[in-house]
Amino acid sequence: MASEVDRSWRDPALIVKALPSVLLQTSCFLAPLLMTFVLTFQKTKSFQLVWAWNLDVWTDIFTKPHYWTILIHTLVMATICTVLCVLLSLPIAYALATRMKRFENHIKILITFAFLTDATLKTFGWVLFLDTHGAANYLLEQVGFPPGTIAILFTDWATMLGMVYSLLAFTIFTIYLSIDQIDRSLILAAYDAGAGKFRAFWEVTLPLCRPGIWAGVVLVFLLAVGVFLEPKVLGGGKSPMSAELIRQTFETRVNWPLGAALTFVLMVVAVFFVLLFNRVYSLKRAMVTG
Amino acid sequence: MNHRLEARLVEIILYGSVAAVLVFFYLPIFTLIAFSFHEGRYLILPFDGFSFDWYVALLDNANAEVALINSTVIALISMVASTILGTMAGIVAVRYRFRGKKSFLGLSAAPLVFPQLLLGIVLLLWFSVLGRWLDFNNGVTTAIIGHVVYITPFAMIIVAVQVFNFDSTLEDAARDCGADNWAVYRYVTIPLLWPGIFSAAIFAFLLSWGNFYLTYSLAGSTRTLPTFVFSGIATGSSPLYPAMATVVFIPGILLVMLADALRRRAQRGGI
Repeated sequence: MASEVDRSWRDPALIVKALPSVLLQTSCFLAPLLMTFVLTFQKTKSFQLVWAWNLDVWTDIFTKPHYWTILIHTLVMATICTVLCVLLSLPIAYALATRMKRFENHIKILITFAFLTDATLKTFGWVLFLDTHGAANYLLEQVGFPPGTIAILFTDWATMLGMVYSLLAFTIFTIYLSIDQIDRSLILAAYDAGAGKFRAFWEVTLPLCRPGIWAGVVLVFLLAVGVFLEPKVLGGGKSPMSAELIRQTFETRVNWPLGAALTFVLMVVAVFFVLLFNRVYSLKRAMVTG
Repeated sequence: MNHRLEARLVEIILYGSVAAVLVFFYLPIFTLIAFSFHEGRYLILPFDGFSFDWYVALLDNANAEVALINSTVIALISMVASTILGTMAGIVAVRYRFRGKKSFLGLSAAPLVFPQLLLGIVLLLWFSVLGRWLDFNNGVTTAIIGHVVYITPFAMIIVAVQVFNFDSTLEDAARDCGADNWAVYRYVTIPLLWPGIFSAAIFAFLLSWGNFYLTYSLAGSTRTLPTFVFSGIATGSSPLYPAMATVVFIPGILLVMLADALRRRAQRGGI
């Protein structure tokens, strides 16, 4: 295993390797973020940005319930999506880590490929599949269902389907990695002590794979908050989520300060929620362990 | 519950869930591929017949060709840049201990958990302001910068996993034999890290090749394959778009298969 070596910032080996990343992320991630924050205090006049320091945008945001309704809708959708992703990933990740050693790599490659495939294409595929005249309804009609049995396209159900679809791979992999590291003899010990499969899973495997679940929850939640394709294409844009609202503010209304402020609100609220989950979770554990 | 019954139920759930997830993941992909061979003008069933007409039409479509070239150029440059940056950052993340390491890790991994659309918008604002000041327009270059910012953290993590399993005494041995720093990198470090660097490069290429959100925000009027397909998402549009989508899948399938073949060869070689 690799050992860690002390390096000072005067060491050329460190400077050459670390500086490019630092420069890139400072100039093209941190600096733009700071500028976005500064923009929230400016104004727009006839679609042009005007440099005038004021709080107009922020008073607008805090007085109009419209933005908050959309934000709450987004958070609810993201939370449901996160819960679904974790619940669906548990058996899959467990099966991958403990069963089917022969096909494990093939399945991992199939999942990776589906994950790396462009989101627009997959969303397009879902539209063609779920449409009233699409593949799913056609197949159902062939076996005797009335036409248009599946009518979830352009509803929140389709949005949720698309969100789970595009984010599920994250939880599968994080949970898989932590189940894979569990010492099998602990589970066998639980069986010897008379526990059934479910009980052993509940009392041994689940607590031990918490780091993986937690990493997956954070990734999925933060990314689910920012989805835009799914509500727009699968949800038909009828109940917009925050990312869509932000995009419209920039593109259609050309109101940069407002868009920048909405971006910030969304990020801060999302990070706040993650910290809150973490807090509640560690409190609960502190109470359990006494 | 009876233990044997329970065990059988568990097996069914476990195998069933994996089978179900594979079907779930490939349902839209296969639907799209199936529709690209649709003979009719509209994207509705039943099939009028099987044909390659839309692939032929794709060859004649100048816009599609431009989009294909743009996608390839952007993906290749982003792949090289983010793999190099990610490899260096991955080595730093695992091998070195230094002041401000936590900030370094936080900063270099942050874009990973940042929604892509928002990253695109934030960068769009940044480039628009810089562009007005330095007089440039958004296009291929800004799209590449956006891709590199987003993909480098992925490359960093993939390489870091490889570095983690790396035996650093091999480097010391090379140094004891009189190799200079460059020779150590050239003949010891990079060859040993190569599987990680290679998978990082494939990941980087595919993430950039299929990227929609960042390209959509940052490429200005330049079209790539994903943004070209996005403009055609509707059941009323022609099978030209599913045909195009199928073309987008091909490099992905080839690269993933190549990576698997190389990994297996490496395993047989006992590395």
